[in-house]
Amino acid sequence: MTSLVDRYVYTALRRVPEQQRADIDRELRASIEDAVDARVDAGEERDAAVTAALTDLGDPDKLADGYAGRPGYLIGPELYTPWRRLTKMLLTVVLPIVVVVLVVLDIVDGKSFGDVIGTAVTTTLNVGVNMAFWTTLIFAIVERNGDAKQRLKLKWSVDDLPKYQPSRVPLTQVATGLVWPVLLIAALILQQFSFSDVPVLDPANWSFWWPYFIVVLALQAGYQVWLWRLGTWNRTVTVVNAVLQLAWAVPLIWLLNTDRFFNPEFHNFAQAGTASDVKHWLTVLITLIVVVGTVKDIYDTAKRGERARRGLATEVAGSGGGYHLNG
Amino acid sequence: MDATLSGHLQELRRGTVVVASLMVLREPGYGYSLLETLSAAGFEVEANTLYPLLRRLEAQGLLTSEWNTDEARPRKFYRTTERGEAVADILITEWARLDKAITDLDTTTGA
Repeated sequence: MTSLVDRYVYTALRRVPEQQRADIDRELRASIEDAVDARVDAGEERDAAVTAALTDLGDPDKLADGYAGRPGYLIGPELYTPWRRLTKMLLTVVLPIVVVVLVVLDIVDGKSFGDVIGTAVTTTLNVGVNMAFWTTLIFAIVERNGDAKQRLKLKWSVDDLPKYQPSRVPLTQVATGLVWPVLLIAALILQQFSFSDVPVLDPANWSFWWPYFIVVLALQAGYQVWLWRLGTWNRTVTVVNAVLQLAWAVPLIWLLNTDRFFNPEFHNFAQAGTASDVKHWLTVLITLIVVVGTVKDIYDTAKRGERARRGLATEVAGSGGGYHLNG
Repeated sequence: MDATLSGHLQELRRGTVVVASLMVLREPGYGYSLLETLSAAGFEVEANTLYPLLRRLEAQGLLTSEWNTDEARPRKFYRTTERGEAVADILITEWARLDKAITDLDTTTGA
């Protein structure tokens, strides 16, 4: 039977580079025996002394990390901040773009409603987990490679600070404000003409409501361009924004709740449960999202306009509202 | 001892074991003997920290080692190198400077 000391030494040293192993083995055994002898001299039983000495020495894997000079963490404090910044950017900016592109491709392909939802969910999970994993793996490797770590030491300068200009219209907002209507118009047209089976939305509305929505969406895209060129927020912007938002939200909610939104011939909802149930909950959900989104957008735009007009400070993004800057 | 205090103490003591080891090992010594000497002198150091530390200092050229097989139990003896002495001197000077600076702060603000 292997002794306790043997088992301890083997466990610790199997994770130490081979060329150092023989020397450390000899030294570690001598140190353990010294500690055991000291305890025996103090009057302990030999077996108890061995157990106590090894317990004192602690987890052999930790000792091995010490000998091999391996860090006891995945990503240290130096690399943690860039790691967090990159991961956050990938998950909040790149991931949504990938998901939207794949969903649009599915719609263009004429996939069914259920398939499109499936694509959205699986892509979010797959791509999200992959992004987090590979980023972390690369940072963990860099953490263990002194040269790469030295080179990755990104110099920070004051130029990297966000600008926080109260009246400026951020380009990202303009971009999403343009992409969103284009996607919706594309989806509206494609669901009618490209689906091989029955369209999701009521085709009867092509007589007036669907063309009307396309016009409103086009106007919303135009509004974003106009706002960007204007470069500021004011009362006119507030009014135009409110009119455009309501022009889209009110008929939408009305159509949804008078059962004129979904195609009565479309029965694919049944795959996910009782058709009327799914339709009912979808109606409630979309209504809720549209109401909350519209109210928030009108309020935010009005607030920004009012602040810019009175030359007041603007909220610092991401501070949770309690933090203002003087423009 | 509450966690805040023990955290600060650990932070303050970090590095003192290196200075103490370089000083003690002006006279050759082996792992367990150094552990005994340090704990008798009041340095709280764990065996699983000290043994890898000795090898790291050796790799950095601050210690040198030699196997002594004269006795029944062969032991690896470490000794501070010239370079190790020089580093120890600088660290001790820094320690003294910090001690003086802290004392000065205490007398100017505490008076």
